[in-house]
Amino acid sequence: MRADLIQPRNLWWGIRWLVLVAVLFVLPLSVYAQGGGDGQPIREVTDDEVNDISSRLYCPVCENVPLDVCGTAACARWRAQVRTLLEQGKSEDEVIDYFVTQFGQRVVGTPQDPLLNFLAWAVPAGAVIVGAGVVAYALQRWRERATSPALPEAAAEPQTPDDAYRARLERELREEK
Amino acid sequence: MTNTGTDVEAGDRQGAETAQAAPRRLSPLAIVIMVIVLALLGVLGLQLIEANRSQPTGGPAPDFTLQIFDALGGGTFTLSENRGKVIVINFWASWCAPCRDEAPALQQVWEAYRARGDVVLLGVDYVDNTQDALAYIAEFGITYPNGPDLGTRISDAYHIQGVPETFVIGKDGNVFQFIYAGVTARDLAAIIDRALAQ
Repeated sequence: MRADLIQPRNLWWGIRWLVLVAVLFVLPLSVYAQGGGDGQPIREVTDDEVNDISSRLYCPVCENVPLDVCGTAACARWRAQVRTLLEQGKSEDEVIDYFVTQFGQRVVGTPQDPLLNFLAWAVPAGAVIVGAGVVAYALQRWRERATSPALPEAAAEPQTPDDAYRARLERELREEK
Repeated sequence: MTNTGTDVEAGDRQGAETAQAAPRRLSPLAIVIMVIVLALLGVLGLQLIEANRSQPTGGPAPDFTLQIFDALGGGTFTLSENRGKVIVINFWASWCAPCRDEAPALQQVWEAYRARGDVVLLGVDYVDNTQDALAYIAEFGITYPNGPDLGTRISDAYHIQGVPETFVIGKDGNVFQFIYAGVTARDLAAIIDRALAQ
Protein backbone atom coordinates (compact mmCIF):
# COMPACT_ATOMS: atom_id res chain seq x y z
CA MET A 1 0.00 0.00 0.00
CA ARG A 2 2.75 2.46 0.95
CA ALA A 3 4.60 1.52 -2.15
CA ASP A 4 1.56 2.65 -4.15
CA LEU A 5 1.54 6.05 -2.40
CA ILE A 6 5.05 6.98 -3.40
CA GLN A 7 4.62 6.04 -7.00
CA PRO A 8 5.86 8.80 -9.38
CA ARG A 9 2.32 9.48 -10.52
CA ASN A 10 1.10 10.23 -6.99
CA LEU A 11 4.20 12.29 -6.29
CA TRP A 12 3.50 14.37 -9.39
CA TRP A 13 -0.08 15.03 -8.27
CA GLY A 14 1.13 16.03 -4.81
CA ILE A 15 3.54 18.57 -6.26
CA ARG A 16 0.80 20.05 -8.41
CA TRP A 17 -1.45 20.46 -5.39
CA LEU A 18 1.33 22.13 -3.43
CA VAL A 19 1.97 24.60 -6.27
CA LEU A 20 -1.75 25.36 -6.50
CA VAL A 21 -1.99 25.99 -2.76
CA ALA A 22 1.05 28.26 -2.95
CA VAL A 23 -0.39 30.30 -5.78
CA LEU A 24 -3.82 30.65 -4.23
CA PHE A 25 -2.91 31.35 -0.61
CA VAL A 26 0.75 31.77 0.15
CA LEU A 27 1.70 34.32 -2.52
CA PRO A 28 -1.19 36.75 -1.83
CA LEU A 29 -0.46 36.52 1.88
CA SER A 30 3.21 37.25 1.33
CA VAL A 31 2.35 40.30 -0.79
CA TYR A 32 -0.06 41.49 1.90
CA ALA A 33 2.57 40.92 4.58
CA GLN A 34 5.02 43.11 2.65
CA GLY A 35 2.70 46.06 3.01
CA GLY A 36 0.29 47.89 0.73
CA GLY A 37 -2.58 45.71 1.81
CA ASP A 38 -3.10 47.60 5.04
CA GLY A 39 -1.69 50.91 3.84
CA GLN A 40 1.72 50.28 5.34
CA PRO A 41 4.66 51.42 3.21
CA ILE A 42 6.46 48.60 1.46
CA ARG A 43 9.72 50.55 1.34
CA GLU A 44 11.44 53.52 2.86
CA VAL A 45 11.44 56.66 0.71
CA THR A 46 14.07 59.37 1.14
CA ASP A 47 13.51 63.11 0.76
CA ASP A 48 15.93 63.08 -2.15
CA GLU A 49 13.72 60.64 -4.05
CA VAL A 50 10.65 62.78 -3.41
CA ASN A 51 12.46 65.97 -4.44
CA ASP A 52 13.89 64.32 -7.53
CA ILE A 53 10.45 63.41 -8.86
CA SER A 54 8.95 66.69 -7.65
CA SER A 55 11.56 68.59 -9.65
CA ARG A 56 10.17 66.92 -12.78
CA LEU A 57 6.64 68.09 -11.95
CA TYR A 58 5.08 71.53 -11.91
CA CYS A 59 2.63 72.89 -9.38
CA PRO A 60 -0.81 72.35 -10.98
CA VAL A 61 -2.14 75.72 -9.86
CA CYS A 62 0.90 78.02 -9.87
CA GLU A 63 2.49 79.41 -13.03
CA ASN A 64 5.68 77.58 -14.02
CA VAL A 65 6.74 76.71 -10.47
CA PRO A 66 8.40 73.31 -10.07
CA LEU A 67 6.77 71.22 -7.37
CA ASP A 68 9.98 70.73 -5.39
CA VAL A 69 10.41 74.48 -4.75
CA CYS A 70 6.74 75.48 -4.51
CA GLY A 71 5.95 76.89 -1.09
CA THR A 72 2.17 76.59 -0.97
CA ALA A 73 0.29 74.24 1.32
CA ALA A 74 -1.24 72.55 -1.72
CA CYS A 75 2.22 71.76 -3.09
CA ALA A 76 3.25 70.29 0.26
CA ARG A 77 0.26 67.95 -0.03
CA TRP A 78 1.24 66.94 -3.54
CA ARG A 79 4.79 66.24 -2.43
CA ALA A 80 3.31 64.09 0.32
CA GLN A 81 1.30 62.36 -2.39
CA VAL A 82 4.53 61.67 -4.29
CA ARG A 83 6.00 60.11 -1.15
CA THR A 84 2.89 58.01 -0.54
CA LEU A 85 2.91 56.65 -4.09
CA LEU A 86 6.62 55.80 -3.88
CA GLU A 87 6.04 54.08 -0.54
CA GLN A 88 3.37 52.01 -2.24
CA GLY A 89 6.00 50.74 -4.64
CA LYS A 90 5.17 52.93 -7.64
CA SER A 91 8.00 53.74 -10.02
CA GLU A 92 8.95 57.30 -10.99
CA ASP A 93 7.11 57.03 -14.29
CA GLU A 94 4.03 55.63 -12.56
CA VAL A 95 4.02 58.55 -10.13
CA ILE A 96 4.28 61.03 -12.99
CA ASP A 97 1.54 59.21 -14.92
CA TYR A 98 -0.68 59.42 -11.84
CA PHE A 99 -0.18 63.19 -11.64
CA VAL A 100 -0.85 63.63 -15.36
CA THR A 101 -4.05 61.59 -15.09
CA GLN A 102 -5.23 63.53 -12.07
CA PHE A 103 -4.10 67.04 -12.92
CA GLY A 104 -3.49 67.10 -16.66
CA GLN A 105 -0.48 67.65 -18.90
CA ARG A 106 0.33 70.94 -17.24
CA VAL A 107 2.10 69.14 -14.38
CA VAL A 108 4.80 68.01 -16.79
CA GLY A 109 5.02 71.36 -18.55
CA THR A 110 3.46 70.21 -21.82
CA PRO A 111 0.87 72.32 -23.65
CA GLN A 112 -2.63 71.04 -22.99
CA ASP A 113 -4.13 72.07 -26.28
CA PRO A 114 -3.66 69.19 -28.76
CA LEU A 115 -2.75 71.60 -31.56
CA LEU A 116 -0.23 73.47 -29.42
CA ASN A 117 1.10 70.17 -28.16
CA PHE A 118 1.62 69.03 -31.74
CA LEU A 119 3.21 72.33 -32.74
CA ALA A 120 5.49 72.31 -29.70
CA TRP A 121 7.01 69.10 -31.03
CA ALA A 122 6.58 69.66 -34.76
CA VAL A 123 8.01 73.18 -35.08
CA PRO A 124 11.45 72.42 -33.56
CA ALA A 125 11.62 69.12 -35.44
CA GLY A 126 10.57 70.85 -38.65
CA ALA A 127 13.11 73.61 -38.08
CA VAL A 128 15.89 71.05 -37.69
CA ILE A 129 14.84 69.21 -40.86
CA VAL A 130 14.49 72.41 -42.87
CA GLY A 131 17.79 73.72 -41.47
CA ALA A 132 19.54 70.53 -42.53
CA GLY A 133 18.01 70.91 -45.99
CA VAL A 134 19.21 74.50 -46.25
CA VAL A 135 22.74 73.53 -45.23
CA ALA A 136 22.75 70.67 -47.75
CA TYR A 137 21.47 73.00 -50.47
CA ALA A 138 24.09 75.64 -49.67
CA LEU A 139 26.89 73.08 -49.65
CA GLN A 140 25.69 71.73 -52.97
CA ARG A 141 25.74 75.21 -54.51
CA TRP A 142 29.21 75.97 -53.13
CA ARG A 143 30.45 72.70 -54.53
CA GLU A 144 28.96 73.52 -57.95
CA ARG A 145 30.60 76.94 -57.95
CA ALA A 146 33.93 75.49 -56.90
CA THR A 147 33.89 72.89 -59.66
CA SER A 148 32.60 75.18 -62.48
CA PRO A 149 35.32 76.70 -64.82
CA ALA A 150 36.41 80.22 -63.97
CA LEU A 151 34.87 82.86 -66.23
CA PRO A 152 36.54 86.01 -67.43
CA GLU A 153 35.87 88.88 -65.08
CA ALA A 154 33.91 90.84 -67.64
CA ALA A 155 31.71 87.88 -68.49
CA ALA A 156 31.22 86.93 -64.85
CA GLU A 157 29.89 90.37 -63.97
CA PRO A 158 26.99 91.28 -66.24
CA GLN A 159 26.24 94.89 -66.75
CA THR A 160 23.41 96.21 -64.67
CA PRO A 161 21.26 99.16 -65.70
CA ASP A 162 23.23 101.26 -63.23
CA ASP A 163 26.47 100.40 -65.01
CA ALA A 164 25.05 101.36 -68.40
CA TYR A 165 23.74 104.62 -66.98
CA ARG A 166 27.07 105.43 -65.37
CA ALA A 167 29.01 104.64 -68.55
CA ARG A 168 26.73 106.88 -70.58
CA LEU A 169 26.97 109.71 -68.06
CA GLU A 170 30.74 109.54 -67.99
CA ARG A 171 30.88 109.46 -71.78
CA GLU A 172 28.70 112.56 -72.07
CA LEU A 173 30.74 114.38 -69.41
CA ARG A 174 33.89 113.64 -71.38
CA GLU A 175 32.25 114.98 -74.53
CA GLU A 176 31.31 118.20 -72.68
CA LYS A 177 34.95 118.78 -71.81
CA MET B 1 23.48 119.46 -74.61
CA THR B 2 20.09 120.68 -73.64
CA ASN B 3 18.56 117.32 -74.06
CA THR B 4 21.11 115.57 -71.76
CA GLY B 5 18.71 115.66 -68.85
CA THR B 6 15.98 114.14 -71.00
CA ASP B 7 18.31 111.41 -72.12
CA VAL B 8 19.27 110.69 -68.53
CA GLU B 9 15.59 110.45 -67.57
CA ALA B 10 14.96 108.15 -70.51
CA GLY B 11 17.85 105.96 -69.42
CA ASP B 12 16.52 105.98 -65.90
CA ARG B 13 13.11 104.84 -67.11
CA GLN B 14 14.74 102.20 -69.27
CA GLY B 15 16.66 100.96 -66.27
CA ALA B 16 13.52 100.88 -64.20
CA GLU B 17 11.72 98.97 -66.93
CA THR B 18 14.57 96.50 -67.10
CA ALA B 19 14.34 96.04 -63.36
CA GLN B 20 10.58 95.54 -63.62
CA ALA B 21 10.99 93.08 -66.45
CA ALA B 22 13.27 90.91 -64.32
CA PRO B 23 11.89 90.97 -60.74
CA ARG B 24 14.21 89.70 -58.07
CA ARG B 25 13.32 86.19 -56.95
CA LEU B 26 13.45 85.21 -53.28
CA SER B 27 16.19 82.75 -52.54
CA PRO B 28 15.15 79.37 -51.10
CA LEU B 29 16.92 80.27 -47.86
CA ALA B 30 14.82 83.44 -47.48
CA ILE B 31 11.63 81.48 -48.14
CA VAL B 32 12.57 78.88 -45.53
CA ILE B 33 13.37 81.53 -42.95
CA MET B 34 10.09 83.29 -43.67
CA VAL B 35 8.15 80.03 -43.25
CA ILE B 36 9.87 79.29 -39.93
CA VAL B 37 9.25 82.81 -38.64
CA LEU B 38 5.59 82.62 -39.71
CA ALA B 39 5.19 79.23 -37.99
CA LEU B 40 6.70 80.58 -34.78
CA LEU B 41 4.46 83.63 -34.93
CA GLY B 42 1.49 81.31 -35.46
CA VAL B 43 2.38 79.28 -32.38
CA LEU B 44 2.81 82.42 -30.30
CA GLY B 45 -0.50 83.77 -31.58
CA LEU B 46 -2.35 80.58 -30.70
CA GLN B 47 -0.81 80.62 -27.23
CA LEU B 48 -1.85 84.22 -26.79
CA ILE B 49 -5.42 83.41 -27.84
CA GLU B 50 -5.49 80.43 -25.47
CA ALA B 51 -4.11 82.51 -22.59
CA ASN B 52 -6.67 85.25 -23.12
CA ARG B 53 -9.70 82.98 -23.16
CA SER B 54 -11.93 83.68 -20.22
CA GLN B 55 -14.81 81.96 -18.52
CA PRO B 56 -18.00 81.71 -20.59
CA THR B 57 -20.68 84.13 -19.44
CA GLY B 58 -23.26 83.13 -22.02
CA GLY B 59 -23.91 80.76 -24.88
CA PRO B 60 -23.91 76.96 -24.76
CA ALA B 61 -22.28 75.53 -21.67
CA PRO B 62 -19.43 73.14 -22.56
CA ASP B 63 -20.60 69.58 -22.14
CA PHE B 64 -18.76 67.17 -19.85
CA THR B 65 -19.13 63.95 -17.92
CA LEU B 66 -18.12 63.88 -14.27
CA GLN B 67 -17.26 60.72 -12.37
CA ILE B 68 -18.99 61.03 -9.02
CA PHE B 69 -17.08 60.03 -5.87
CA ASP B 70 -18.14 56.60 -4.64
CA ALA B 71 -18.75 58.11 -1.21
CA LEU B 72 -21.54 60.19 -2.80
CA GLY B 73 -23.16 57.34 -4.68
CA GLY B 74 -20.75 56.87 -7.58
CA GLY B 75 -21.85 56.83 -11.20
CA THR B 76 -21.46 59.64 -13.66
CA PHE B 77 -23.12 62.96 -14.40
CA THR B 78 -23.34 64.22 -17.97
CA LEU B 79 -24.40 67.82 -18.44
CA SER B 80 -26.15 67.32 -21.78
CA GLU B 81 -28.34 64.60 -20.28
CA ASN B 82 -29.76 67.09 -17.80
CA ARG B 83 -31.15 69.64 -20.24
CA GLY B 84 -34.30 71.22 -18.84
CA LYS B 85 -32.85 71.58 -15.37
CA VAL B 86 -30.97 74.43 -13.77
CA ILE B 87 -27.45 73.16 -13.09
CA VAL B 88 -25.13 74.86 -10.62
CA ILE B 89 -21.52 73.87 -11.29
CA ASN B 90 -19.16 74.76 -8.46
CA PHE B 91 -15.41 74.36 -8.92
CA TRP B 92 -13.64 73.85 -5.59
CA ALA B 93 -10.61 72.28 -3.93
CA SER B 94 -9.88 71.13 -0.41
CA TRP B 95 -6.76 73.33 -0.28
CA CYS B 96 -8.77 76.46 -1.14
CA ALA B 97 -9.70 78.61 1.85
CA PRO B 98 -12.54 80.60 0.17
CA CYS B 99 -14.06 77.26 -0.89
CA ARG B 100 -14.32 76.30 2.74
CA ASP B 101 -16.12 79.56 3.44
CA GLU B 102 -18.79 78.94 0.82
CA ALA B 103 -19.20 75.17 1.34
CA PRO B 104 -21.95 75.47 3.99
CA ALA B 105 -23.88 77.90 1.77
CA LEU B 106 -23.80 75.50 -1.18
CA GLN B 107 -25.06 72.62 0.94
CA GLN B 108 -27.79 74.89 2.32
CA VAL B 109 -28.93 75.77 -1.20
CA TRP B 110 -28.88 72.13 -2.23
CA GLU B 111 -31.08 71.18 0.71
CA ALA B 112 -33.49 73.98 -0.17
CA TYR B 113 -33.88 73.02 -3.85
CA ARG B 114 -33.19 69.29 -3.84
CA ALA B 115 -36.86 68.25 -3.51
CA ARG B 116 -37.89 70.24 -6.62
CA GLY B 117 -36.02 67.93 -8.96
CA ASP B 118 -35.32 70.63 -11.54
CA VAL B 119 -32.25 72.02 -9.85
CA VAL B 120 -28.95 70.15 -9.66
CA LEU B 121 -25.94 71.25 -7.65
CA LEU B 122 -22.68 69.76 -8.84
CA GLY B 123 -19.25 70.01 -7.26
CA VAL B 124 -16.19 69.70 -9.48
CA ASP B 125 -13.08 69.01 -7.43
CA TYR B 126 -10.17 70.85 -9.05
CA VAL B 127 -6.58 69.49 -8.80
CA ASP B 128 -6.99 67.80 -5.47
CA ASN B 129 -5.95 64.65 -3.66
CA THR B 130 -8.86 62.25 -3.43
CA GLN B 131 -8.34 61.62 0.29
CA ASP B 132 -8.28 65.33 1.06
CA ALA B 133 -11.36 65.88 -1.09
CA LEU B 134 -13.32 63.13 0.66
CA ALA B 135 -12.27 64.51 4.05
CA TYR B 136 -13.53 67.94 2.95
CA ILE B 137 -16.86 66.48 1.81
CA ALA B 138 -17.26 64.67 5.12
CA GLU B 139 -16.25 67.75 7.11
CA PHE B 140 -18.96 69.92 5.55
CA GLY B 141 -21.58 67.17 5.30
CA ILE B 142 -21.86 67.67 1.54
CA THR B 143 -24.51 65.45 -0.07
CA TYR B 144 -24.80 66.86 -3.59
CA PRO B 145 -22.92 65.10 -6.43
CA ASN B 146 -19.21 65.78 -6.45
CA GLY B 147 -16.36 64.34 -8.44
CA PRO B 148 -12.75 64.92 -9.42
CA ASP B 149 -11.88 66.93 -12.51
CA LEU B 150 -9.57 64.26 -13.89
CA GLY B 151 -6.92 65.75 -16.14
CA THR B 152 -8.50 69.20 -15.53
CA ARG B 153 -10.62 68.66 -18.64
CA ILE B 154 -13.75 70.31 -17.25
CA SER B 155 -11.95 73.30 -15.73
CA ASP B 156 -10.09 73.75 -19.01
CA ALA B 157 -13.36 73.69 -20.95
CA TYR B 158 -14.73 76.40 -18.67
CA HIS B 159 -11.42 78.32 -18.64
CA ILE B 160 -11.51 78.77 -14.90
CA GLN B 161 -8.74 80.88 -13.44
CA GLY B 162 -8.94 79.61 -9.89
CA VAL B 163 -11.29 78.31 -7.25
CA PRO B 164 -13.94 78.83 -6.17
CA GLU B 165 -15.79 79.66 -9.36
CA THR B 166 -19.44 78.86 -10.02
CA PHE B 167 -21.50 78.63 -13.19
CA VAL B 168 -25.28 78.53 -13.26
CA ILE B 169 -26.53 76.78 -16.39
CA GLY B 170 -30.05 77.57 -17.53
CA LYS B 171 -32.70 75.08 -18.57
CA ASP B 172 -31.82 75.77 -22.21
CA GLY B 173 -28.25 74.58 -21.69
CA ASN B 174 -26.73 78.04 -21.91
CA VAL B 175 -24.57 79.67 -19.28
CA PHE B 176 -26.99 81.81 -17.28
CA GLN B 177 -24.58 83.33 -14.77
CA PHE B 178 -20.90 83.10 -13.97
CA ILE B 179 -19.89 83.82 -10.38
CA TYR B 180 -16.20 84.64 -10.07
CA ALA B 181 -15.75 84.48 -6.29
CA GLY B 182 -17.42 82.73 -3.39
CA VAL B 183 -21.19 82.67 -3.14
CA THR B 184 -23.67 83.22 -0.35
CA ALA B 185 -26.81 81.12 0.01
CA ARG B 186 -29.07 84.12 -0.54
CA ASP B 187 -27.35 85.35 -3.68
CA LEU B 188 -27.14 81.89 -5.21
CA ALA B 189 -30.79 81.18 -4.44
CA ALA B 190 -31.78 84.44 -6.13
CA ILE B 191 -29.80 83.52 -9.25
CA ILE B 192 -31.34 80.03 -9.33
CA ASP B 193 -34.83 81.51 -9.00
CA ARG B 194 -34.15 83.83 -11.93
CA ALA B 195 -32.86 80.91 -13.99
CA LEU B 196 -35.94 78.85 -13.14
CA ALA B 197 -38.21 81.71 -14.17
CA GLN B 198 -36.43 82.11 -17.51
